[in-house]
Amino acid sequence: MSFISIKGVSYSYDKGREVFSGLDLEIARSGMTAIMGPNGSGKTTLTKLILGILRPDSGRIFLDGDDIGDMSLGQIGCLLGYLFQNPELQIFANSVFEDLSFVLKLKGLTDDVIGQRIDSILSRFNLDEYRDSSPFNLSFGEKQRLAIAGILVNEPSYLILDEPTTGLDFKRKDELGQVLKELMDEGKGITVITHDREFVDDFDAEIVLLSKEGRICRDQK
Amino acid sequence: MQGSKIDVRTKLAIVLCLSSAGVFLQHVYILIALMVLTIILALAFKADLRKAMRSTKRLWYILIAIVILQSIFIRSDDAIFAIKGFEILTVTGLIKGAEFFLRVSIVIFSATIVATSNYRQIIQGLVQLKVPYDIAFMVSIAIRFLPLLKDEISQTLVAIQLRGLDLKKIKISQRLKVYYYIFTPVVAGVLKKAHELSMAMETRAYRAYQERTSYLILKIKAIDYLIIIAALLITTALFIMFYVFKFPGRLI
Repeated sequence: MSFISIKGVSYSYDKGREVFSGLDLEIARSGMTAIMGPNGSGKTTLTKLILGILRPDSGRIFLDGDDIGDMSLGQIGCLLGYLFQNPELQIFANSVFEDLSFVLKLKGLTDDVIGQRIDSILSRFNLDEYRDSSPFNLSFGEKQRLAIAGILVNEPSYLILDEPTTGLDFKRKDELGQVLKELMDEGKGITVITHDREFVDDFDAEIVLLSKEGRICRDQK
Repeated sequence: MQGSKIDVRTKLAIVLCLSSAGVFLQHVYILIALMVLTIILALAFKADLRKAMRSTKRLWYILIAIVILQSIFIRSDDAIFAIKGFEILTVTGLIKGAEFFLRVSIVIFSATIVATSNYRQIIQGLVQLKVPYDIAFMVSIAIRFLPLLKDEISQTLVAIQLRGLDLKKIKISQRLKVYYYIFTPVVAGVLKKAHELSMAMETRAYRAYQERTSYLILKIKAIDYLIIIAALLITTALFIMFYVFKFPGRLI
């Protein structure tokens, strides 16, 4: 059964350029789906529609069977974790620990539960030594790992990563790949927007190739 | 009137006259007339008033809230609505509220007239008005970066909600904390951009020489002089009429 279901979605920018017209797409609950295509084909627009950041002109999008038109961004965020192209947009606090803990505190979790969850996620992403450091002083790769940790600490069912390999060297790319494989083994589904075919080939990903006109050219393993 | 053909200094003079009159002539009739004049002039200069309204949408909500509060809290003897002797709404409060609303609207709409020139023309206009280049450049950077800052704030607001925070469902005290967390990445981003911009400027030899030359030189025409003189005369006449001849008389 698909986790994300896009049915007849059309979307145009304010200036009138049509990005999608009657787009249908089903994205599986598990495994990796890679959305690929040339610049301007609407990859990021598609994810913004899935996340409810943009609203379609017509058509509907379902997350785990629920119409996202009836959901708030907060409710969507509980189901879907989204990694922005620029991880700095997802760093909100002045220490790594606070950045990971403040949402959990606002949600009313106890300090014990928060502490355990954060210790486990910091060690998973090799960020233990930066626990009390300012996130703004981390390297790009570390900031990206922190941003993914910040998403996962909320335990979403599914992840969408926008160009996660941009700016990463081979070592960091391998580390990211390892983390994603572990998450997939735990049953989490992942959608990656990328130009990096080599990276997604390692995952036996389903490839959704968008044309410049916003049509799906290919949908295959 | 061809908005793009009028010199930016002429537009600055018009905006200065309209906003000064709007601030200092505190009479609702004059303010209504000034508001109508501002809208006519903005449309004549082909200013995008709808876009200005959209981009200042939140500001209008705040303005309306202030007007309502001002109308309620100004005390006088001319109550329109009172409960057990406690005045809720007075004529004076309503007029003061309307004056405040009109004054701010005049300032916002008159600013759209300058916005019909591009930012390079605005800098050059300020420089040719003998404003130091550094100050003029800072003004242009502020104009250039404001929309980016707005985008960054809205992206951060989206990002924080996508962490699973439902802003509508949390308490107001907690919501204030969330706003603190929103401004952390925005301030960090602004500092980073400022640093990068200063590096980019250095690489392009900013301040390498004492004197600056410019490819763009604005030339003021006869129509510009006519408009500036007319704007100054009308504004002076309005001030004399209001402060010397006390016309129109006080409403309250």
